[in-house]
Amino acid sequence: MEIKYSKNKIELEKELNALDKLAIKISTILNKQDIKHVIVSGYICILFGRSRSSENIDIIIEKIGPEKFEKLWKETKNKELHCINAQKPKEAYNEYLTTGVAIRLSKKDEFIPNIEMKFPKNELDAWTLKQRKQVLLNSHKLFIPPWNYKYHSNSSSEAKKTSRTQNTSTTLSKTN
Amino acid sequence: MKTPKIDLKEIKKMKKQNFKERLKFIDKYTEWLKKTKNKKWSRQQKKIINK
Repeated sequence: MEIKYSKNKIELEKELNALDKLAIKISTILNKQDIKHVIVSGYICILFGRSRSSENIDIIIEKIGPEKFEKLWKETKNKELHCINAQKPKEAYNEYLTTGVAIRLSKKDEFIPNIEMKFPKNELDAWTLKQRKQVLLNSHKLFIPPWNYKYHSNSSSEAKKTSRTQNTSTTLSKTN
Repeated sequence: MKTPKIDLKEIKKMKKQNFKERLKFIDKYTEWLKKTKNKKWSRQQKKIINK
């Protein structure tokens, strides 16, 4: 694995899969809208080589006001990403995001893979967003949790495996 | 129809063994990833994910 890393940034070139492309798409939109965000959970392991797929890409975005969200809504529609679980921006904002429920975005007429987007729900989410690190994936800017991030919210064996793989990714970045 | 007898103890043991094997596999896969060119591993990964 060829990977460049520094304190706050990792650079990686790879053949992009469908999930990488979706992650790049949403990150580009959020970067353009100047919305602080961080991708978390399973996709991080996939980004660094785990051979598994995922139905969704989890992303935490900073709390934004309804007007800024409306702009984001329009931009996602322009880029052909549609909300699966809400029809209108007001519904998505008031009934989902601000009540702690994620909205799901996907390409038109597709359910998977989708982007699960939410506001920070707890201290860990807020910390992850604040401490985020940059990944340049084929020169596209993505944000991921700090290198030593672990998932504590779920104690299932799958979560343990995920956590382990993520740490493995960290090891890779340190040893290459 | 007669249902097979299920030995919960045996299943628990098998689960533990499978998990151990899974972790071993992850370590081996990681070693392989470390020494393999990005182009090669990401092409294989793409095949699985884009299915």
